[in-house]
Amino acid sequence: MNALEASQEEVKPDMTPMIDCVFLMIIFFICIDFKVLESKLPAYLGKDKGSQYFKVEPMEQLSIKIYSDVAGTPEYPPGKTKASINENTLRPYRFVLKGHRVRYEVGPKPLTSIKEVTDELKRIAVAPESQVKDEKTGGRKLMPCVIEAYPGTYYEDVSKIADAAHDAGFQEINFGGGLGPAGQPRR
Amino acid sequence: MDVKTIASQNIDVDMTPMIDCVFLLMIFFVLVIDLSQKNLEDLILPRAVFQEPDETPPENRPIINVLQNGTVIYNREVAYDPLKHGTDYRPIKQLLIDIRREGLIKKTLTLKGEVIGGKTVMLIDDPILIRADKWTEWHYIGEIMKQCSQPEVAFWKVELALSDKDKETNERNPRKVAK
Repeated sequence: MNALEASQEEVKPDMTPMIDCVFLMIIFFICIDFKVLESKLPAYLGKDKGSQYFKVEPMEQLSIKIYSDVAGTPEYPPGKTKASINENTLRPYRFVLKGHRVRYEVGPKPLTSIKEVTDELKRIAVAPESQVKDEKTGGRKLMPCVIEAYPGTYYEDVSKIADAAHDAGFQEINFGGGLGPAGQPRR
Repeated sequence: MDVKTIASQNIDVDMTPMIDCVFLLMIFFVLVIDLSQKNLEDLILPRAVFQEPDETPPENRPIINVLQNGTVIYNREVAYDPLKHGTDYRPIKQLLIDIRREGLIKKTLTLKGEVIGGKTVMLIDDPILIRADKWTEWHYIGEIMKQCSQPEVAFWKVELALSDKDKETNERNPRKVAK
C-alpha cells in the first residue's frame, strides 16, 4: 500500500468505548443526584407511659414552644386540587406551603426567627445554671430540652428547631406531641 | 499463510465491551434491587444540617411514612387515613402492635426489660423510623410518637427522618470535609 492509497482510506474511529463512557457517566450522575443521603434525629420517648403507679422524679428541662403565626396557603401543581390523586403513585398531589410563619418561645422568651432561637439556645447551653445532675454518671450535664409544637405547626418547623438545638449542643431533645389538629384534615 | 502459522498467532480478544456491559448490568441491578428503598414513600423530608447521617440503617427497622395530609403508610399500605378515621387513632396503635408482634415472632425485634420505679417494664430495644413530608402537620407525627410510647407498643427509640437536601427548594447541606 503506497502513501496515496493510505491517504484515500476512510478513517473510522471506534466510537464504542466513548459511548460506553458517556453512558456510565450519565448513570453515575443520575445516581448521585437521586441518592440523597437521609439523616435521622433520634428521639427517646418516655419509658414509663401507662405506669401511673411509678414514682418519677421531676426533671429540669428547657421548653421550646412553636406557635403558628400565619397558617400559610398550600399551592398545588397547576390544574390540581387537594382532591387530585396522582395516577402514577396513587397518592394525593403534593403541595408547597407558601407564606407560613411561626413564632417561638425559648423558656419564657418570645422570639420570631430561627436565628434568634439558635443564638438564645447557644447562650443557654453555655450558661452554668443550665447544667443539671446526670443520674447515670452522678456528674453534671446540659439539661434536656423539650420541643412543644402547637396546632398549625409542621414537621419542617420542628426539625429546624431540633437542628438548632443540636447545633447549640443539646444532646437530649424530647418532643411534646399530640397537641391536636389545626383544623380539618387536608387531603 | 498456512494453518500452522495461523494457529501460532496470538488471538487478542477485545474485552472492553464485555467489561463495559458487565459494569452497566451491575449498576442497573444495584439500582433496581435496592430492597432497602421499598418501604420508602416519595416524600420531601426537611433538611437538617446537624443530625447524624443514616448511613447504615438496620435491616429490621420498621419504617412508617406519613404523607402531607396525615395518611400513615406502612409497607405501601394505608394504615390510617385522616379523612376516613378522623381523630380515631386506633388504626395507628393497631399497626404498631402488629409491627411489634410480627417483629417478635420473626425475631427481628428484641425486647429488653428495664426497671423503672421498682417495676420491670418490657421495651422494644430497636428503633422505629418515622418519615414524614416537611409540610406534614406535626400533630400527626406527635400522635404516632404518643402511640409508640404506649405500654402495649413500647417502641421507645423513635427516629425521625431528615434529609441532606431539600428537594423542594434544592438547598443542600455543604459537603462535609473528611478530617
